[in-house]
Amino acid sequence: MFKQIQNWFDERIGLTKVIEEFNGERIPRRGGWAYTLGSVLAFLFTVQVVTGIFLLFYYVPYFPIARNATYFIKHHVIFGNILLGIHLWGAFTMIFIILIHMARVYFSGAYKKPREMQWIVGMVLFSVVVVLGLTGYMLVGNENSWWTINVLDNVASHTPFIGGFLRIIVKGGTETSVLTMQHIFAVHVWLLPIVVIMFIPIHLFLIRKTGHQGMALEYKNSKLSDDDEKKWQHPDGTVPFFPDQFYKDMIVALGVFAVVYILAVYVGAPIGPMYRPLALNFAPEADWYFLANEELLKYFPGHGLIIFSTFLVPSIGFAILFALPFIDRTKERSPFKRPAATVLGILFLLLLVYLTLIGGEPKAPATV
Amino acid sequence: MAKSSEESPSRRTFMMVVIGLISTVIGIALAVPILGVVLNPLFRKRDIVWTKLGKISDLNLKPLDPKFVPVYFRVKEGWSVNTLPRQVVVVKQVNGDLLFFSNQCTHLGCPLHWIPARQKFLCPCHGGMFNITGQVVGGPPPRPLYQWVHKFGKDKDTVYIQNKFKDNPKDRGI
Ligand code: HEM
Ligand code: FES
Repeated sequence: MFKQIQNWFDERIGLTKVIEEFNGERIPRRGGWAYTLGSVLAFLFTVQVVTGIFLLFYYVPYFPIARNATYFIKHHVIFGNILLGIHLWGAFTMIFIILIHMARVYFSGAYKKPREMQWIVGMVLFSVVVVLGLTGYMLVGNENSWWTINVLDNVASHTPFIGGFLRIIVKGGTETSVLTMQHIFAVHVWLLPIVVIMFIPIHLFLIRKTGHQGMALEYKNSKLSDDDEKKWQHPDGTVPFFPDQFYKDMIVALGVFAVVYILAVYVGAPIGPMYRPLALNFAPEADWYFLANEELLKYFPGHGLIIFSTFLVPSIGFAILFALPFIDRTKERSPFKRPAATVLGILFLLLLVYLTLIGGEPKAPATV
Repeated sequence: MAKSSEESPSRRTFMMVVIGLISTVIGIALAVPILGVVLNPLFRKRDIVWTKLGKISDLNLKPLDPKFVPVYFRVKEGWSVNTLPRQVVVVKQVNGDLLFFSNQCTHLGCPLHWIPARQKFLCPCHGGMFNITGQVVGGPPPRPLYQWVHKFGKDKDTVYIQNKFKDNPKDRGI
């Protein structure tokens, strides 16, 4: 019976061959667990899409109602708290794991020729995922949403030349209004998810074309010199993607999913009070992954310097990260044989952690 | 190092079993909250309220001359209180009895028109026809017109309507 169905498809489109081709990708053998991060990201993104679709059964992107609709999902819809919780903690976990995935790629030098495009596409995915997080935060319609919209929109307004237009376009007008939320909503549920859905396959296609580099420890037996690009295409041992690598991917996915689920059930998604533009005593807070940036915004007082914190420092930092494969063109991959890159990477991560930790503390207004 | 699936068939089987089990666990864990959210409406109680229709004496009812009177139910729905505007068709029978019909056709719910010349309620959708006592006299409708649950106030003149039909076990319409 099964055989017959298989034959039916094979006669027409050679399905078995297609599947075998797909499943048979050769993955470097030794560091398999480190290569599960990308798949876990794809898995988490799928979970975000699925939970997001069902949140839409109740959510309304209208400022005075959004927060109450979210509250209703959490408190009055059966298992709505779990669904909302998975969506929130799934998003946090995704941002966290994307950083680890980037770190793994960075320290193993896997962005170098011929894999520059993977890195660029990855950076697009990274930017989009972060903006997905920020827009999601705004959609709750609570106090933080309201002030986050205002703060980030003002940040956008300091972009040279186009800042003024940008601010109005993002807001859907000159003031924060119901149109603002409608725009953010369309961006969060349509525009950005579609970008991710388009770029993940490109990312994966490129990885298949160049082969998976993995880490330097895969190439110990190779006789070629480290400068030879060919060396980094032939790891000592490989296993097929299915089932060997997929098996590891699934185990890690289960572990990550269990953590997300437990956080969803026992911590859940805080909703907070309705937005109050009139509030006298409210101190807005950003989500954890934005605190480093938030901290940066505190250091450049006054008219002349504001552009450093809102535009120059973030965008130059971002541009350097984006163009990394073209800036670092050395051929060496092992983190121990390129100490400068490794130390810089570690310092950058420490700075990020430090800024994040102190970014949570409100700072007294600077006197100029 | 653990054997790869190519080196050992039993290892391959083991991996396949683990993959299957994990997929099942994750699938179920996700399906449960999704089912809860999707099936939630089945467990929701409808908010039933009374609302004032007005005084019968103000309607100037004549026998065999239906009056379409709008009512506005304020009901709790989800996260908000909403207004449901509905038509009450008040009919005075020849013997003086009052009937309070819904203007929804009992076939599939289209809005009925009163045609004075033919003394009939006609449905614009599939040709349903009702006489002034609400009985089906033509077309596909399976049952007489729905009647609103109603009550009279202390003055025996003011009428209150509930957002509920009489003899309507499956809660159709409204
Ligand atoms: C939604 C986000 C992302 C998804 C779903 C994703 C998915 C994947 C997958 C499945 C792999 C192969 C397995 C692995 O090494 O983990 C991979 C590898 C890779 N990713 Fe990502 N990734 C994402 C974001 C990023 C980001 C932000 C970067 C860097 C800026 C990046 C750069 C790379 C590179 C260079 C490789 C090749 C590694 C090698 O050949 O060893 N990816 N990605
Ligand atoms: S709905 Fe009235 S006849 Fe079909």
